[in-house]
Amino acid sequence: MSPSPGLRIGIDTGGTFTDFVVFDPASGDFSTFKLPSTPHDPAEAILAGLVRIGGAGRSIVHGSTVATNALLERKGATTALLTTEGFADVLEIGRQNRPSLYDFFADRPAPLVPAELRFGLRERVLHTGAVQSALDPAEVEALIPQLQAAQVEAVAVCFLFSFLHPEHEGRTAGLLRQAGFFVSPSSEVLPEFREYERASTTAINAYVSPVMSRYLSRLEDDLPGDSLQIMQSNGGSIAPAEARRHAARCILSGPAGGLVGAQAVGRAAGFDRLITFDMGGTSTDVALLDGGLYVTGEAEIGGLPLRLPVLDIHTVGAGGGSIARVDSGGALRVGPQSAGADPGPACYGRGDQPTVTDANLILGRILPDRFLGGRMPLDFKRALAAMARLGEPLGLSPEQAALGVIQVVDAHMARALQVISVERGRDPRDFTLLAFGGAGGLHAASLARALAIPRVLVPAHAATLSALGMLMADVLKDYSQTVMLPGHTPAAELDSRFAPLRARAASNLAAHGFSPPEQTLNASLDLRYAGQSYELNLPFTPDFLAVFHRKHELEFGYANDTQPVEVVTLRLRAVGAVARPALPRSPRTRRAPRSFDHRPALFPSGELPTAFYDGADLLPGQRLRGPAVVVQPDTTIFLGPSDSARLDSFRNLLIEGGT
Amino acid sequence: MRLLGSCGIAAEPTGLFERFFAVTNAIELEIFKHLLAAIPEEMGALLRRSAYSPNIKERRDYSCAIFNPSGEMIAQAAHIPVHLGTMPLSVQQALAEVELRPGDVVILNDPYRGGTHLPDITLVSPAFVDGELFGFAANRAHHADVGGMAPGSMPIARELVQEGLIIPPVKLMEGGELQTGLWDIILANVRTPRERAGDLRAQLAANRRGVARLEELAARYGPETIHRHSAALLGYAERLTRALLRALPDGRYEFADQLDDDGVADAPLPIRVAVTIQGDSASVDFTGTSPQAQGSLNAVYAITLSAVHYVFRCLLAEDAPSNSGSLRPIQVIAPEGTLVNARRPAPVAGGNVETSQRITDVLLGALAQAAPDRVPAASQGTMNNILIGGWDTRRAAPFTYYETLAGGMGARPGAPGQSAIHTHMTNTLNTPIEALEFAYPFEVVRYEIRRSTGGAGRFRGGDGLRRDLRLRVPATASLLTDRRISRPYGLVGGEPGAPGENVLIRDGAESPLPAKGSIDLQPGDTLSIRTPGGGGWGKASQ
Repeated sequence: MSPSPGLRIGIDTGGTFTDFVVFDPASGDFSTFKLPSTPHDPAEAILAGLVRIGGAGRSIVHGSTVATNALLERKGATTALLTTEGFADVLEIGRQNRPSLYDFFADRPAPLVPAELRFGLRERVLHTGAVQSALDPAEVEALIPQLQAAQVEAVAVCFLFSFLHPEHEGRTAGLLRQAGFFVSPSSEVLPEFREYERASTTAINAYVSPVMSRYLSRLEDDLPGDSLQIMQSNGGSIAPAEARRHAARCILSGPAGGLVGAQAVGRAAGFDRLITFDMGGTSTDVALLDGGLYVTGEAEIGGLPLRLPVLDIHTVGAGGGSIARVDSGGALRVGPQSAGADPGPACYGRGDQPTVTDANLILGRILPDRFLGGRMPLDFKRALAAMARLGEPLGLSPEQAALGVIQVVDAHMARALQVISVERGRDPRDFTLLAFGGAGGLHAASLARALAIPRVLVPAHAATLSALGMLMADVLKDYSQTVMLPGHTPAAELDSRFAPLRARAASNLAAHGFSPPEQTLNASLDLRYAGQSYELNLPFTPDFLAVFHRKHELEFGYANDTQPVEVVTLRLRAVGAVARPALPRSPRTRRAPRSFDHRPALFPSGELPTAFYDGADLLPGQRLRGPAVVVQPDTTIFLGPSDSARLDSFRNLLIEGGT
Repeated sequence: MRLLGSCGIAAEPTGLFERFFAVTNAIELEIFKHLLAAIPEEMGALLRRSAYSPNIKERRDYSCAIFNPSGEMIAQAAHIPVHLGTMPLSVQQALAEVELRPGDVVILNDPYRGGTHLPDITLVSPAFVDGELFGFAANRAHHADVGGMAPGSMPIARELVQEGLIIPPVKLMEGGELQTGLWDIILANVRTPRERAGDLRAQLAANRRGVARLEELAARYGPETIHRHSAALLGYAERLTRALLRALPDGRYEFADQLDDDGVADAPLPIRVAVTIQGDSASVDFTGTSPQAQGSLNAVYAITLSAVHYVFRCLLAEDAPSNSGSLRPIQVIAPEGTLVNARRPAPVAGGNVETSQRITDVLLGALAQAAPDRVPAASQGTMNNILIGGWDTRRAAPFTYYETLAGGMGARPGAPGQSAIHTHMTNTLNTPIEALEFAYPFEVVRYEIRRSTGGAGRFRGGDGLRRDLRLRVPATASLLTDRRISRPYGLVGGEPGAPGENVLIRDGAESPLPAKGSIDLQPGDTLSIRTPGGGGWGKASQ
């Protein structure tokens, strides 16, 4: 992309704040700020921020929760679904399983399209791609008045085996588009096998795209002269025109921005094997970055499968607001119930339930008068009373109960970190724990100690990491095509099957202003042994078959090169690399850090004098010894008695564990 | 006030806590619950990742667990309730029959010696620390075929030996060495040996991981500490059950229901239960249940235990750990020689997949009297097992297809039942139509919800579903289904759900098929399975 003279801006809309990170290519300077989000009209906060930034010809990358919220709150477009006759209920039957094994009252989420708006059409394509019965366009036309009468705005079309023979869906989509509907054909959205997951993804796309489209129109109308890109869940951006048709690709863009930001910060600091730890109020996101970002095709949102590429993030239902209680078997439990923002932890002054935040306050790790930069004074007595009620039946003092709450929530977190590392064959000792989110810094050092992770990195930009990631994100588009060919298919033939994907990718990147040398197209294959139901993704190379056997042995412990292999799906990732601005560095100082307070904090071994530092006062090169607390406007970082830390030249805090 | 390590765990319990819980405190209890539960979960993740067949990978018909040296289960990761709490019997059988040494792995599937039904193959691996038995890792997986008289190994048989290869508890690995003779015998007696080998290797890998993790725990905390916390976890699960039982009104609650037939004799098979709750303990007595059947509907004791475990677990207010402590307060009386505790050599394939559902139905029918606000009406009460096998001319290879079909969920106090969903003892996924048609020589003609098959009521029962398969080659289908005559009961005045139907469509004409049996299918034939609806809850007029 030709370098734009204007400012580069990353904007992440969150539930509470809209974050801005601005890079000025002329000076190399970064600046960041936050504005309160405006959920009734998210564009309002964005436009206000852009007015404040000023300038013209700006390059903006924006991550929006508009599609996410439309889906989670079920406020999307009125959507119909057309399927092959006899299969209109696939969307409701799903995989026929229930969400919770031992809960009679747990329901699976209702389908996005109700039964009365699902229609079967007499057409059928076989697994060979041959047409068994042809589509009758008159049948589609006959449906149109019915859809109009039901005030349908969007139509998802998902016929069996349409990825092998997209013509029926194409024909149907054409007729419906002529009639004015937004159409989401599965062969455009996700040309891959497994009809339920494809139908679900296609229906999600139909449901959220019209909402996204209206939102983007509003933004674009107000931003003439700026270039706007939209963040996707795969860690890259796309043009607004594509985001309007494929809004489902943008549903998890906020967390994706966080990972791209984490990767950029980690790389600059010299660490590219990272475990990210984003602990918020009600949940915690963890992810593993091993040189690159991992993408999964098995994401779920609101209980519905979304089979588009999404950065692989594992979420657990515990965070700062998680409620502690003693259950009927006498165990101290923390979460999954959360006090949320209202009433919030007891110390917020409204609720009476003891939470993780209350525990941190009682132990002296959070200062009541410095929470959220002092904007929200905390009620210590109320927290203490809540914790006393928790501890009383166990014979524990409030302080002992608070220590217990911290240990139990840390056990939850440690388990989540194991799931994404040990269970995937990675040793946490080889990684750096990158902590962000409101509560990440409070728990990171002790978690690192528990899992023998050698260091913790708390980024200078921890509070705006996601917006920073958006600013750094490449233009990225994923293409796929299920082919189901035998493994002995010549590489040259597979190559020719990639040709249409490559052509679409190249023209897409060209439209973004990337010349052919600036384009990277990564072709890969999903392969499996015939009869398996799980595929391994490998780069497409002439010797892919040999590599497959080797990788299968490595991942699963066995291989059999006499066994037939299937080439299930072709994948192509098109990358238009954006020049990543260098993060700002500051000179080192030899001055000792100045604490603003010393207070006792509580540890399992008793009270210890603890130094409190203001993060804004700390300078590169300064070292801290635990026990210590670093207070920042959006977060607090806690160092145990055996921890030490230093500020690197990017102003990241690096904590090196004790024993 | 030295209490606890700052994130690690104190090596010794303190006097303060011992007053409240004999061996461990509320905090350590929760922390060790996580630590110990992590092991079978990690085993399960590895097994699913590395298994060969869709049965394990997509349908998740497997479970993993760890045990203490006496064979009590400490933690289990189960994706399928019929495996709940049954593996201790496998471990105890291995302990009783085999002299175990480090590096050994015991394999078994004999239903009368620690197994359940033949397709479920269990691997038991002891863990040793300093030469002492420290515990066990075990896993069980449903194999799509273990030989016998019909593809899929769930035929309408008259005796166990017809159902497939019987493996008593024997060493598959000895001192770390694979016993290749045994391995070859197993693979020579199944229809799809390559798949079986892949799945067995995945099972071995999962146990290897479990044993390694147990040894790591012992090295980190010391074997005694782990034994103490394991015992505390068993006590914890026991307290949860006792708390539930205390909260239920004392009394004797009886219920009876039936299976339609056993596929051999055309007569219903009643199952009776009397649940007696007294204080914080209970007895569950199946006296009066039908004698064991000629056909394969016989459940071994393990299956009956797992159904009991399941229903009480569902009534718990808490998200309880799955371990052997849960059942301590409950005495299960299942007379030998009956449908719920069969004797060799009765065939058992359907005990697991059909009788287990009806045992659950009668238990819930009894408990609905004790907890009317928490127990749903009867769900479909069958798994609708479909097995199709034959010769795929296109691939010039044999094929075996096995699937269970969802149906209606019983209506709940305050909510309707869900439609086309698996309930109670199974939760296996369906095979995607597009995956199925790539792999097998048949087409799915329709897959839809059978509207209005749920029982009427203040809250309606969920609807069943219909799946039609059209064959392209000659094949043999085995059906193992129930609730084709009897109907899933309603509660509090709700109507029963509609029964299921099995239908053959040949040359456009429909003819009924039996609930259980094998049929030869011709190219062009369509097998249409229509599953039952759930019972309603409350009177419709209310």
